[in-house]
Amino acid sequence: MLTCLSTPTAGEAYICGHSTAKESKEVKALVGISTQDTAVAENLTVKENLQLIAGIFGFSKEKTAQRIDDMKSLFHLDDVMNSRAKTLSGGWKRKVSIAMALISEPKVLFLDEPTLGLDVLARRELWNAVNSLKGKITIILTTHYMEEAEQLSDRIAIMVGGKVRAVGTLAELEEQSGEKGLENTFVKIAGQAGGAEE
Amino acid sequence: MNRILTFSSRNLKEILRDPLSYIFCLGFPLVMLVIMTIINDSIPAEANMVIFRIDNLSGGIAVFGLSFLMLFTTLSVSKDRSGSFLTRLYASPMTSADFIAGYILPSLLLSVLQSAITFAASLIINAIVGGEMSVVGSLLAVIVLIPGAVFFISAGLLFGSLFNEKAAPGLCSVIISLSALLGGIWFDCEGTGGVLFDVCNAMPFFHCVKAARMAVAMQFDGIGIHLLITIAYTVVFTLLSIVVFRSKMKADLS
Repeated sequence: MLTCLSTPTAGEAYICGHSTAKESKEVKALVGISTQDTAVAENLTVKENLQLIAGIFGFSKEKTAQRIDDMKSLFHLDDVMNSRAKTLSGGWKRKVSIAMALISEPKVLFLDEPTLGLDVLARRELWNAVNSLKGKITIILTTHYMEEAEQLSDRIAIMVGGKVRAVGTLAELEEQSGEKGLENTFVKIAGQAGGAEE
Repeated sequence: MNRILTFSSRNLKEILRDPLSYIFCLGFPLVMLVIMTIINDSIPAEANMVIFRIDNLSGGIAVFGLSFLMLFTTLSVSKDRSGSFLTRLYASPMTSADFIAGYILPSLLLSVLQSAITFAASLIINAIVGGEMSVVGSLLAVIVLIPGAVFFISAGLLFGSLFNEKAAPGLCSVIISLSALLGGIWFDCEGTGGVLFDVCNAMPFFHCVKAARMAVAMQFDGIGIHLLITIAYTVVFTLLSIVVFRSKMKADLS
């Protein structure tokens, strides 16, 4: 709903002051998404994938080149720039997918389980990339990994049954639940909400 | 316009980088052109069978080639819909008009190239066998085939929107076979007459082939009705594909 992919049945949400229900054009220009499945054009090279998104967002040739350079250095894409997406490993594809979400200079970036299925090294590398973005843009990251939420989040929302049951910094959530560590905190709050799912 | 061109360029690359595109859209029609010319050479003149003569064959084979573009348009759309790639683009400033134009334009460009190559090959064969084809007639046929090309591409967009990537190609194969059969590419359906001709006459394929053949022969008397029927089918299928794509886009998002 926040990315205007589905229409709310009730209520309103705003991204940078724009209603997601009534101003989808403005909202879409402000957000970037990286879905759980890597959303890349398989037959295009990494560079072409980045150019595609920059073109869709109406960037000039100069700005596209500059943003591609930015993404290249942020995600260390030098070696794969001219490789077709279908030949990349899962970790590389995920990085390209996030780079595609970032190239449009979004104000808000949505990352849906960005490290799902990645090995430890690829996960750490992605964490570093996400960490380097902190303070520059707002990132909303969904995850089932408590360790990931602890490492990356300034504020954590615990959702059970589609509803936010608690929100705050890790310290605030620990204080609220009386538990130590996010996993114990999560289990306590989820248990109180009567659900086993995040 | 920038978004359309960007998305068109991506779709063009996707088709051009699939080796099967060359096999089906170019190789297969060209091979059929050669095979049917050889068969035609074996048919005795007394049989008075002209359906496989190069001036008749070229228009039919060109339409046959266009039907494969329907398959590749369908594959592009249905594959995109099955993955997360379209979800990403749905969340971008792309509108449904951008998507539709972005799928149609590259296929249309390829259809013109494909027809031009088919007629160029036909002209070479024509020179070898001493036929009556002309360069001007062939160029006119490429132009006359544009509405038919849009018809096949729209049908591809429609099937790609309606069905998944496993079902859509199968359905396209049926349409390809039907278009070859009912288009009168492989047999003289006018000469056959009866119910079969009535069915052929009611379909756009026959009129598309007929208009191309008439353009090749530079016989313009009566070509209008065949073009009109092809255009009517094209308009209906294009509108239908737009409506269905838009409604499926909304359904995909809900």
